[in-house]
Amino acid sequence: MALIEMENIRKDYFLGETVVHALQGVDLRIDKGEFVAIWGPSGSGKTTLLNLIGAIDEPSAGDLAIGGREVRSLSDNQRSELRNDTMGFIFQGFNLIPVFSALENVMLPLQIKGASSREAKTRALTRLEGVGLGEFIHHRPFKMSGGQQQRVAIARALVNDPSVVIADEPTANLDSETARRIIALMRELNDNEETTFIFSTHDQRLLDQVKRLVRLEDGRIVDGGLKP
Amino acid sequence: MRKWMKLAIRNILRNKRRSLVTLLAIGVGFAAISLFHGYVNNMYAGLRFSAIRGEGLGNLTINRAGWQEKGKLEPEKYMFSKAETEKIIKLVTEKKGVVLATPQIQVAGIVSNGTTSTIFIAQGVVPGDDRAIKGAWAAFRPIKGESLQDQKSYGVEVAQDLARYLNLQPGKDGVVMATTLGGQMNAMDIQTAGVYDSGSDATNDKYMRFTFSFAQALVDTKMAERIVVLLENWEKTEEMRGVLLHKINQAGIACEIKTWNELSLFYSKVKGMFDMMFLFIFSIVLVIVVMSTVNTMGMAVMERTREIGTLRALGLKRRGVSLLFAMEGGLLGLFGSLIGVALHISVWAVIRALSPTYTPPGISTPVPLVVDLVPQALFVLMLCLLFLSLFAAIIPARRAAKQNVVDALGHV
Repeated sequence: MALIEMENIRKDYFLGETVVHALQGVDLRIDKGEFVAIWGPSGSGKTTLLNLIGAIDEPSAGDLAIGGREVRSLSDNQRSELRNDTMGFIFQGFNLIPVFSALENVMLPLQIKGASSREAKTRALTRLEGVGLGEFIHHRPFKMSGGQQQRVAIARALVNDPSVVIADEPTANLDSETARRIIALMRELNDNEETTFIFSTHDQRLLDQVKRLVRLEDGRIVDGGLKP
Repeated sequence: MRKWMKLAIRNILRNKRRSLVTLLAIGVGFAAISLFHGYVNNMYAGLRFSAIRGEGLGNLTINRAGWQEKGKLEPEKYMFSKAETEKIIKLVTEKKGVVLATPQIQVAGIVSNGTTSTIFIAQGVVPGDDRAIKGAWAAFRPIKGESLQDQKSYGVEVAQDLARYLNLQPGKDGVVMATTLGGQMNAMDIQTAGVYDSGSDATNDKYMRFTFSFAQALVDTKMAERIVVLLENWEKTEEMRGVLLHKINQAGIACEIKTWNELSLFYSKVKGMFDMMFLFIFSIVLVIVVMSTVNTMGMAVMERTREIGTLRALGLKRRGVSLLFAMEGGLLGLFGSLIGVALHISVWAVIRALSPTYTPPGISTPVPLVVDLVPQALFVLMLCLLFLSLFAAIIPARRAAKQNVVDALGHV
């Protein structure tokens, strides 16, 4: 069974009386353990596609199943649980909670799930050490560099052992060297833990390191949608 | 829960200036209500003491049924005979919690010093019982001269302004005239035993006090107009009214019983006015608290839209977002109330140290300005403002929770 299965997905946005067809009949299947980059020019629908895969948005038409569960049939609460149980998110702007330390930020998904403080702390510490931030656990985001913040975000995305990590332009706000390290870290986690990574980028330098490329143009997959 | 509490507290501290303004608005509002309540609470206690003891109303006044409506027109028909009076006093004093029951009669007429005359209103009271009713009030407003004595029935007490107008100082003689129940004019000699302060400008120029037997003689009757009952505990007034009414009616005497607060027009009017003022102040503070909290939380929701999107993406449910913001609102209410308690205690301590006095309108002497410290009232008010802030935060909290996750994440 595919981890992500999309069939003829369409997504329309309404800007006043204008209809924007962000996705126009996308078919995509992603299996467990894949390391997938979705790439394409700006406005091609990368972020929209990731939002749908991440169950934070709904398709206008078509079928989307995550881990065998049809997303359309889920209530808002069930979708929240699905995200919390099976997904990790890495954002372009890191999106860390500024009033929390690195450790507290990483503990968040577990505490949303209802884990005890002790358990959340133990697992968050392990993840922070895993991304090389063991000495920065009490630092607030504003006292950390962009690369460090993104590593905290990666630790947060992985702390609940998700089936899939979704990253929207994870290296866009980072310099080349830091971007390379972040991608290397993601690859390492993918290789060692078989965590599925799906990320969007239009940075050509990163594309060489991925296992699979899905190319989007004008809301359509033009290459790599279905595995050979 | 501790995690969310921590997040809420840190978010409050995030914009210190804005939170401080909101906390001060709640704190000052709290202090305004609690100080006014403390002042009013003390004033009500003083007025109650003044009505029960000072005016001599006791806690309950028993009249024959119909007295309030027709007693002035046909007094003889609506007064208690001597036998009835004795029976009622016996029935009432048997009841536990009753200190005493005493007959009284009111007389109105003209008082003269031989050259000048003016009107008077006098209460005919049993001297010993009257002293018991006055209790500590006697020390608070002492009589100049002597109080009423059973042995000297023509000795009367005269209110201070009336005594001054007619030069009826202690030891001076005069004459009182009144209509008997039979409709005849009667006049009797008096001698001023003492001069007293009735406590009110409106009554100090016309009030007198006679012994009960002297008042009976003046209106030529052996009957009593009313029986005044003094209770051990004023809080039992209502309960005791029902019990005594039932008991006296069962004994075959139709009567009506009024409580001290129903008879003290001054107490009722002042209480009505201050209750209205309290409601007015409370409404203003309520609006300020709600507006401040809604404004602060509304700004917080707007500024933290991306964070809300992030939390939702991480799996926090809508209810969780609402709860988080409601908790922040509730904490603002709690901390604001604590500031209010501190302000209340500070002002209370300053007033206690300075002991200021003032003369209220219609009152003949200055009274101390006292603000009570009522812990129960502070606690209730704290709960009130806490829940008010919490509910005020629900409006922006619901708005935050309803936001589309994608839109929230894209918010700049």
